[in-house]
Amino acid sequence: MGEKFRSGNGKKIARERIDILFHYARLWAGEDRKRSRSCILLARRIAMKQRIRIPKRYRRQFCSNCTIFLVPGSNSRVRIQHGKVIVTCLDCGHTMRYPVVKQHAR
Amino acid sequence: MITPENVLRHELIGRNVLVVHATNPAQEGISGMIVDETKSMISILTSVGLKHVPKKHTIFRVTLPDRVQVELLGSTIIGRPEKRITMRIRK
Repeated sequence: MGEKFRSGNGKKIARERIDILFHYARLWAGEDRKRSRSCILLARRIAMKQRIRIPKRYRRQFCSNCTIFLVPGSNSRVRIQHGKVIVTCLDCGHTMRYPVVKQHAR
Repeated sequence: MITPENVLRHELIGRNVLVVHATNPAQEGISGMIVDETKSMISILTSVGLKHVPKKHTIFRVTLPDRVQVELLGSTIIGRPEKRITMRIRK
């Protein structure tokens, strides 16, 4: 236990915690947005503290400006324009642009 | 996986909890789901609303996903939730 246990398991626990937090952020997105948002804020703080990236499957699910959970059609608009996916957060008006790229063959 | 060994470093949000002992007798017996956590307080969503319980000197009974129940001394989980991962556990 002690030192070795701490350094070895921190990132693994952090990934599991991010999974749990995004699960509840999605669950509470409809009923209590403040609570849902605080889950994402905590997930981001954990990721920063442990120096891991938010997994790709979650990265587009929240607004990078106000960290609210985005539900397309409800509080976000998704459009394709000029070869980019443009996601607009309808809460704060922030737009996020993601390039449309072909998946590279491995 | 949340196990009794790593529950002190793991996520508490979403777990069902029962306040076994608290310095404030009115807070004993509060049960519900943990919805938020700060450095020294836990917010519990009960059937009668949101309750805020201090961690210090409180004993919580937490139900893990595999329905194992563990009793946590609130004083051991004092600290910001993102900082608890790297926290040293004292006996």
